[in-house]
Amino acid sequence: MNDSESLQDRIKDWRKDASGLSYEEALQALDLILAELQDDAVPMAELQRHVLHGQVYLDHCESLLKTMEEAVVQLDPDTLEPSDDA
Amino acid sequence: MDWSVSTGVSPTAALSADRIPTYSVGELNAAVGSLLERGFAPRFLVEASVSRPQLKKGHLWLTLTDGDASITGVVWASRLKQLSHHPQDGDGVTVVGKLNFWIARASLSVQVLDIRPSLTTVLRQFEQVRDRLLEEGVIDPARRRPLPLRPAVVVILTSVPSSALADMLRTARERWPMTRLLLVPIPVQGAVAERIRGVLSALAMRHEHLQLEALVLARGGGSREDLAVFDDEGLCRDLAVFPVPVITGLGHEDDLTVADLVADHRAATPTAALAALLPDRQTVERDLQRRRERLRDLPSWRLARERQRLLDRRRLLEQQAPTARLPRLRQELQQKRLLLQALSPERWLQRGLALVNDASGAAVTGISDVQPGDRLTVQLRDGLLDTRVDAIRPASDASTP
Repeated sequence: MNDSESLQDRIKDWRKDASGLSYEEALQALDLILAELQDDAVPMAELQRHVLHGQVYLDHCESLLKTMEEAVVQLDPDTLEPSDDA
Repeated sequence: MDWSVSTGVSPTAALSADRIPTYSVGELNAAVGSLLERGFAPRFLVEASVSRPQLKKGHLWLTLTDGDASITGVVWASRLKQLSHHPQDGDGVTVVGKLNFWIARASLSVQVLDIRPSLTTVLRQFEQVRDRLLEEGVIDPARRRPLPLRPAVVVILTSVPSSALADMLRTARERWPMTRLLLVPIPVQGAVAERIRGVLSALAMRHEHLQLEALVLARGGGSREDLAVFDDEGLCRDLAVFPVPVITGLGHEDDLTVADLVADHRAATPTAALAALLPDRQTVERDLQRRRERLRDLPSWRLARERQRLLDRRRLLEQQAPTARLPRLRQELQQKRLLLQALSPERWLQRGLALVNDASGAAVTGISDVQPGDRLTVQLRDGLLDTRVDAIRPASDASTP
């Protein structure tokens, strides 16, 4: 049970790390894991761990897609500072 | 008869029906002036060619002509500053004007309120600037930069508010709301090239600070003449050297301006500009879905590959096992046996020849091995003969008895 507990902790850590990533960064991290899996570079014992890690990035990307909101900022043409009437 | 009362016409006017009116010069000019004032449209459009424009005390004087008829026109200094188009000799123009009549000299002219180049003038300007920039290599398809894949920050230059802007914002929301849109309002009609250039240079200086990845220059439909500012040479040169990729979405699909030619990407409309620049959310979602499937499938494929590798090794191992080796050795042995049989003297015996051995069992191949009195064994096809040598005759005597 010790192993699965530490895995839970790991996933928690991964989630925390991924939450700070932009969509592009998370996607890049995910693609790296996919490439490793494809090249058989991952030791068999760590296969499951890599897949779970990839899922964390994937979930982060999807949640970003779901929650993304349009940000429009109007700039003053003279100062290029955000203008009040935006 | 007192019809002047019944019709309400003034006594002076009534008089004029009876006799030729008499004026002083001042009165005459005033009468013409008042007639023109009352009887002529307060504003009108004139299509004309400009001839001999010249500045006098800050006012621009010119002759408007259609080849045969002509009339003097004037642009007052105060108005001149606001004009988008400063007419050159021979330019085709549309003038928004009103009549100006100077009573003192009875001189008539068109006071120009606005002057717009005609389509031919606009297109001539387009061709001249285009040819110049082509020659200098400012317009060059090879200079076009690729658009960013998923830009985080994009600046849009367009008029605010406008339907073009509303369309662009809607497109951005539908496709890729994650891109932060910076909006800089610019005037898009009239003498606004300098104003737009000012914004461009400020943006170019601060593009790193603003983290700009692309610039969209957009203007909704209208006539081709309305787009003349986007043929401005200086503006187009600025666009060509702008530090991040430039996308234009100007006017209608068929409109082509010099700005479109120097841009890194020319979109047919403002909406198309954002569609070209921003990723499509649905495509991205499909991409993610594909990755999810790969993440699910890759481990099982990996397991299948490892299983195959094990299987290959098992086969190798099995080939080395005694149970597999024995029949193979037996088979080899059998083959050797057959070979041996093929080479044995047995088949000579079958054909009637004999083998001769001496008492020690050694094969006798010539007379030198034998002495008279020796016991020899003769092997035939079906048995042995024990014999004794009576005489020895060399081969040369063999024929003589």
